[in-house]
Amino acid sequence: MARVLRLSKSPERGVRDMAKFLLENGRVKGVLTLREVGENGAVGYSLISSADELEHARPLYPLMPVNSGKWLSLLTLRQAATEPIAVVLRPCELRAFVELVKRQQGSTDNLLLISSTCGGVYPLEMALGDNVEANLAQYWEAVKQGEVIPGIRPACKACDQFVPYTADIIVSLLGNKDIDRETVMLLNTDRGEKFVEGMSGQFAEEAIDSAAVERIRSQRETEKQRLFDEAEIRNLGIDELNKAFSKCIGCHNCSKVCPICYCHLCFFDSEASEHDAVYYATQLERRGSVEAFPDTIFYHLVRLSHVSTSCVGCGMCSDVCPASIPLWAISLRVAESVQKAYGYLPGKDMEEGLPLTTFRPEEFAAVG
Amino acid sequence: MTPTRKGTIYLSEGDVEKGVLDFMKQALSQGCFDAVLIPTRVSAGDSVAYSLIRDEALLEGASPLPPIMPVQGARAISSITRRGKRNKIIAAVVRPCEARATVELAKLGQANLEDIILVTVDCPGVMPLADYFRSAEDGDKTFRDASETWDSEPMRPVCSICDKFSASGAEDLHIGTLGAKSGTMVLIPSSGKGESVLSKLGLSMEDDISSWEGGVERLTQERKQKRNESHNGLRSEIEGIDRLLESFSRCINCHNCMRVCPICYCRQCYFDSDKMKFNFEDYLTRARVRGVLKVPTDTLLFHIGRMLHMSLSCVSCGMCEDACPMNISVGQIFSLVGDRNQEAFSYVPGRSIDEALPLTTFEQGEFQEVEQSHSVFSVKEKQNG
Repeated sequence: MARVLRLSKSPERGVRDMAKFLLENGRVKGVLTLREVGENGAVGYSLISSADELEHARPLYPLMPVNSGKWLSLLTLRQAATEPIAVVLRPCELRAFVELVKRQQGSTDNLLLISSTCGGVYPLEMALGDNVEANLAQYWEAVKQGEVIPGIRPACKACDQFVPYTADIIVSLLGNKDIDRETVMLLNTDRGEKFVEGMSGQFAEEAIDSAAVERIRSQRETEKQRLFDEAEIRNLGIDELNKAFSKCIGCHNCSKVCPICYCHLCFFDSEASEHDAVYYATQLERRGSVEAFPDTIFYHLVRLSHVSTSCVGCGMCSDVCPASIPLWAISLRVAESVQKAYGYLPGKDMEEGLPLTTFRPEEFAAVG
Repeated sequence: MTPTRKGTIYLSEGDVEKGVLDFMKQALSQGCFDAVLIPTRVSAGDSVAYSLIRDEALLEGASPLPPIMPVQGARAISSITRRGKRNKIIAAVVRPCEARATVELAKLGQANLEDIILVTVDCPGVMPLADYFRSAEDGDKTFRDASETWDSEPMRPVCSICDKFSASGAEDLHIGTLGAKSGTMVLIPSSGKGESVLSKLGLSMEDDISSWEGGVERLTQERKQKRNESHNGLRSEIEGIDRLLESFSRCINCHNCMRVCPICYCRQCYFDSDKMKFNFEDYLTRARVRGVLKVPTDTLLFHIGRMLHMSLSCVSCGMCEDACPMNISVGQIFSLVGDRNQEAFSYVPGRSIDEALPLTTFEQGEFQEVEQSHSVFSVKEKQNG
């Protein structure tokens, strides 16, 4: 049995009303959520401190301009939140934030974490004009049916971690037939329960229907296997890697938007990664030719080895890649094997140590 | 028409790429330089990357005028010359805007041109990366057809308004194709280095190249007009703080425009530094001023800061626009701002290595109108008057 709060309005309205309640009653001093930021339909994360400004909030808008886990890290990096703040974010954003906190890149203190079962987000290229807006009706219909939503990020189509783990409040969206007129919020922690106490709505103890979740999970799993095949990344040998990264322009934007890549200065942007005249001359002598930027694949391999224990499959990397390399698929495929080897699911549990910082005498006996 | 420049008419076979490659091979084998830096097809065939090539046979895979610009050539030249030299002469085959950016980087101490011979070719523009990468095969065809007729429609928006697509003064040797008679290219030396290549090959520099000059002049005028019209239109869309904010409202603060920019060379941008990381209380205080704070913060400040830092050297290559995940017209906006700033200083980036960067040069007589309109004296005068 779980504690549930029901509001008789659509979820976007419901979440907005809850945020309003929290702000107006002084339970939080700010709400971090998606909001309209321009006249041309642009939507971005905003820290809202005035209840009036919530009118423009779009808490469940299916777009991820930045992985908010990364931004939450910046917000709480130098100083943990000194006042309570409500944060509305997607499961993968929350998981990324948990991974960052484990790396001492932020703090969950004073944060009320509100998440939802997630239908996914549209690719950033659709953020132009009213492309997302035009698809919203279709989006919510598919969410209601618990179907894979056409046109969303491939990473989202393949995502089987659409139920948040460490949220205080979880808005039930996927497969919920009544989302046109009802918001169902699972009060997942005592903290969550305490914050919404006294809000007008229907509080109840209910059983959670896990059959729907399992059905969606298996649908997504099938979709993932299909997309992996499509991306031709089954065997990541040197030939496949060469092919996969042949279009890479070396901009490193995949690492800049990655919520897990938090290094202030990436090795591959550092002086240590630059080659001197001797290198070019030697290579020229040996092979007759040398690339001006010879470390493209090296960069991606190192990035994979650094992030794969914590990759949450959010798909930001693919979305910003100017060469449309299916980075999400490559990352997720590698991440899944690595995470399986360690029996680790990133972002699931704040208390669970990062695999590479945890030594277990009995593990990897096969390796030695 | 009498030609105003020295040049050679060079007989070539096949398309422009083959003509240029044949010439480069000949010059390499004659010892005019030791190696060639040139875009080369990657093994998968769907892109190009700058390679330094010593062996004539390996030049077969080179593509001197590829349909795309995945990396700005100035960055490639900077990369191979910035950290020491080995006294090998390298001919770098780049596009005119890449040559101009290279000269700017050299002025900024980020490239060493001592052992570099810059070779440029009349440039039909490049396709946006996204368009090309959808299908390299279709892209190759689209580019080939468009460049034959100098149709700039499928090219980057800034390419279609580029008026510096030919010899610009930045290069040592220019290869002209525009208006050249079929089966020929025009070789124009722009420096002593360029002349010495041609004399080593025993080529006369006294040929009549007026047909190329005429072709370039016609397209330059056409493009200048187009550039003006496009900039005027854009100006009305972005002028003033509200419109500027709106233009960048989609910005996700990834700074990719900066990272692919050939001029932005700082290893650590101020906007990626600790200076831009604030205490939680600062964020909340800022949010309270207006009831809301867009995050990540300071996106417009970043773009304005970048404009201030690089617009005098901006060569309008369009890398920034191609690399922007949000399809912001950042290249066009910067080309407009760049043009206006450069005009104020009568500075053309990349025109000459001997021309100092405007902000490093003080001229007594310049900007008197600014001085006068802002001096305490003139304000007092106005009040009294």
